[in-house]
Amino acid sequence: MISSKVWLVLRREYTYNFRRPSFLFTAFGVPLISLIAMFLIFQFSVARETKLDKFQRVSYIDRALIIDPAGPNPADYTPVTDPDLAAPAAGSQPDVLPAVFDALEAYASEQLQAGELDAYFVIPEHYVLSGQVTLVAQRSIPEALRDGIEDFLTAQIAYRAPETLPVPVERLADVEFTLRDLDSGEELSEAALVGRLLLPFIFVMIYFMATSTTAQFLMSGVVEEKENRLMEILATSLRPAELLVGKLLGLGALALTQVVLWAMGGLLIAQINESARAFLGGTKFETSHLILIGVLFVINFLIFAAAMLGIGAAVTAEAESRQIAGFFTFLAVLPIMFSVAFFTNPNGPLPLFFSFFPLTAAVGLTMRLGVSTLPSWQIWLSLAIQVITALFIVWLAVKVFRLGMLMYGKSLTPRTLWVALREGRVTLTSVPAEAGEAARAPRRRKGLFR
Amino acid sequence: MSKEQHLMSISTENTAIAVHNITKQYGDFTAVNDLSFDVQRGEIFAMLGPNGAGKTTTIRMILDILKPDSGRIEVLGAPINDATKERIGYMPEERGLYRNVPVLDVLVYLGQLKGMARTDARQRALALLEHADLTANVKSKVSELSKGMQQKVQVIATVLHRPDLVIIDEPFSGLDPVNTQLIKDLLYEMNREGVTIVMSTHQMHQIEEMADRLLMIDHGRRVLYGDVHDVRQRFAKNAVIVEGEGDWAALPGVERVEQGENGRGVVLHLAAGVTPDAVMEALAVGAAYHIRRFELAVPSLNEIFIEVAGTGRANGASGG
Repeated sequence: MISSKVWLVLRREYTYNFRRPSFLFTAFGVPLISLIAMFLIFQFSVARETKLDKFQRVSYIDRALIIDPAGPNPADYTPVTDPDLAAPAAGSQPDVLPAVFDALEAYASEQLQAGELDAYFVIPEHYVLSGQVTLVAQRSIPEALRDGIEDFLTAQIAYRAPETLPVPVERLADVEFTLRDLDSGEELSEAALVGRLLLPFIFVMIYFMATSTTAQFLMSGVVEEKENRLMEILATSLRPAELLVGKLLGLGALALTQVVLWAMGGLLIAQINESARAFLGGTKFETSHLILIGVLFVINFLIFAAAMLGIGAAVTAEAESRQIAGFFTFLAVLPIMFSVAFFTNPNGPLPLFFSFFPLTAAVGLTMRLGVSTLPSWQIWLSLAIQVITALFIVWLAVKVFRLGMLMYGKSLTPRTLWVALREGRVTLTSVPAEAGEAARAPRRRKGLFR
Repeated sequence: MSKEQHLMSISTENTAIAVHNITKQYGDFTAVNDLSFDVQRGEIFAMLGPNGAGKTTTIRMILDILKPDSGRIEVLGAPINDATKERIGYMPEERGLYRNVPVLDVLVYLGQLKGMARTDARQRALALLEHADLTANVKSKVSELSKGMQQKVQVIATVLHRPDLVIIDEPFSGLDPVNTQLIKDLLYEMNREGVTIVMSTHQMHQIEEMADRLLMIDHGRRVLYGDVHDVRQRFAKNAVIVEGEGDWAALPGVERVEQGENGRGVVLHLAAGVTPDAVMEALAVGAAYHIRRFELAVPSLNEIFIEVAGTGRANGASGG
């Protein structure tokens, strides 16, 4: 049961930080900008890849001698013909043909340079073996032109194929393959396959951004309350535990809001775009996985938020806190930096290490979940490590918070913290002016404040 | 109930703060050393002492921010608890408000943390802001206010929830005379309504003017305690201050003549056994003397403070 004061702190932290420009930008601006950028790139790509306005005059040189002018030619490609070059006479020896084709290629190149041709393609002598043609143009070649040439060649091959061919001619011209999930046998589209590989990565990116953004808010909030001398007033209004729990819950809810907003953005795109729907559908996450990811998210947030809270209470200025927090963030981002290792060998030593190292375990485990089937002992061990780490860091953060919250203008050094913990002196305390004099006085034995 | 218990009960009822033999150490350093005192309900009580004397530590122990190593503290009749805390208004020496939040929002939030309903906190905050001539700044961020305005907002935050006990550290620092009077009037008004006020300040003239009783701490120990008038009388020397003309040294019973403070008048130090009345009689009959002012030389709290604190420093008294 949340006490009314915890609720007040929770609500204040949530609403205040929700209105921060940096949160609004991260939560709404980044997805919106991504959406707009994706839309523009998509529009540009589609326009570029489907428009053939600038490729009206396309010719070919048939070195393989497989094109029948009487055969199908839906795109009206014309053979390259040089009016100054005499066509080889019927029944010419094959050894004269290469020279003729070379001359035609040179002529086509000149025509291309002169702007008389938009593109030309050469069907090599051994096309039947290689299946490849050379396409030459002076500007970027759209996908539609490639498709057009492919259709033209397929149609020509089919036209020439004997009726007694034992297999459909399309199988000779093109190779089609179907992707299936090995476990379920379910057919996967190309987008679904890409989704299966990339979704865990995208998920941890969102997860990481939400966690690190809100944990940073928590840290800067504590630094602000400490440096603005609010802590002393707050300490007379509510218990430190109420303040901490209120902050953790408020900012945890904010992190969740960010994830939900981004997820909603993703689902919205899926609603309007079939490829995106297939992309999202490619995910291998089951309900149990989603529950596990939820648990990992909570534990990971606790670890980071508590660490940031402790840092905020221990330092004197936000700039200083950011430097220390940067180290934690660097550790957390390591699995993302080494994401290739997860795609190539999800059960390799590096992904395995990241799954068990407390600060990277949530991200490491989630990334592996998407691309591999994990043994349950690994999941349980990783969870146990994270729970123990979370408990330890929360415990330590509370001690640091209690010790450092009233230390105005002074940083809590690791040495001071260690001495305080060893002597069991962690109370709601400060280093008051009186202790300043004590620091100058001679010591008989080691004390807390030096 | 025995007679003794009954008396204790009455005593507890009348006591806002009862501090019994509290000690607080930081490592080897003793910040507060076996300190005892009480604050009666409805009085204005002043805490004073040199920097580093232990005032802030004592206040923090009263407020349960720090735990004493030994000793006992009762606030509003019982050891402090969550309910008691809501009846206390505290303004620390180091002022604190959310800087980038509108004034009204800060006040409502702090009022709610003290147990007020949101609407009540809002109405009371608006009324107090109007009283402090800050209505135009209700929506301003705290960081946009002048230092004096921030100080007034801080005082409002302290008294917003209608506390029974107000503990206020240096209430007048940073305020001009007009705003000093405004805050003073607010404190007097609350005191008239029965609110106990404990203030810690270095402005001795404010203590002389406002406080009923005082406690002076030095090196964590109690060095002065009691009614302000009594304390001043206790330090009164056998001397009188006179302004006028005449040969002061020739007066019978005058042992030594010294220039008065700020060059106004003279201080006549009297021999042992000579009373001010006797000097006054001698002046009245002496035709060579013209008197414009005659008063007992009671030292100001400032002089007492310097004397007591200076002696403590010279002796390197306890505490450390």
